[in-house]
Amino acid sequence: MPYAERPDEWLVARCREAADEAAFAELVTRYRGPVFRLVVSILGQAFAADAEDVAQDVMVRIHQALPTFRGDAKFGTWVYRIAFNQALNAKARARFRVPHVGDEALEQAVSRDRDPHERLQETRRDRAVVDCMNDLPEVYQSALRLHYWLGASMSEIATLLDVPENTVKSYLHRARRLLSVMLAERGFHA
Amino acid sequence: MHDDDAMDRLLRGAMAAEAPRLSHAFETAVMRRVRPRRLSARGRVTMVVYAAVALALSVWSMRGLDLRTMAVGVTAGLAIAAGASAYVRRLASGD
Repeated sequence: MPYAERPDEWLVARCREAADEAAFAELVTRYRGPVFRLVVSILGQAFAADAEDVAQDVMVRIHQALPTFRGDAKFGTWVYRIAFNQALNAKARARFRVPHVGDEALEQAVSRDRDPHERLQETRRDRAVVDCMNDLPEVYQSALRLHYWLGASMSEIATLLDVPENTVKSYLHRARRLLSVMLAERGFHA
Repeated sequence: MHDDDAMDRLLRGAMAAEAPRLSHAFETAVMRRVRPRRLSARGRVTMVVYAAVALALSVWSMRGLDLRTMAVGVTAGLAIAAGASAYVRRLASGD
């Protein structure tokens, strides 16, 4: 049976018992996409350029930690937990070099084919949305970015965050309400 | 509900930027990082020659000493080299 048709557990056992490189390559192929999307959702727009490096670090960490995987949880759940924690650490380090976008830069970026004032207001409001999002709890931020930015389905978000789908809906609802209040405090109304 | 719908539209607008994509080289890069590093044939020859010269120099510099002291000296040197190598490897793996 080809490796692509084998279950995760079999591939993990091959990696652990026979250091099978092809088995690990198959696991990387299976999980690279979801891990990358989860990492992007945690890092956010400001640090998206680091996402591929962080996703690589996650895969290397998984390879190193495979001997400690006991199989209490599903392999995917274990992988996403490692990815979530690794991305949080990377984000904490990256915050020290957060770029600041001034109003001048925003004004220069304003499109010329629409009313510049209206467009500037819109750009400022969008920036305020992104800024306020950074003050939300990490799981809310991740759920919002997966849903609105990466177009992930409820079931995909539920799998990546290891929560039921109803909890994802609740995260999104509460995050929108919190954002609405935070934006109103800054003088922006939805 | 009206407020929730408005926030929904606002979020769609604020996050309309194109999402980053994974490069095609991702898997190759990961496999390169997890693959045990092996020396090339030339590297292996260099290491063997280096070890032989180092051993010969050590024995020559300890030529007046008794055999037991020489053995202790060589063993201690090898232990320090192995410890340093393991430490450097640990630093490189980021643990």
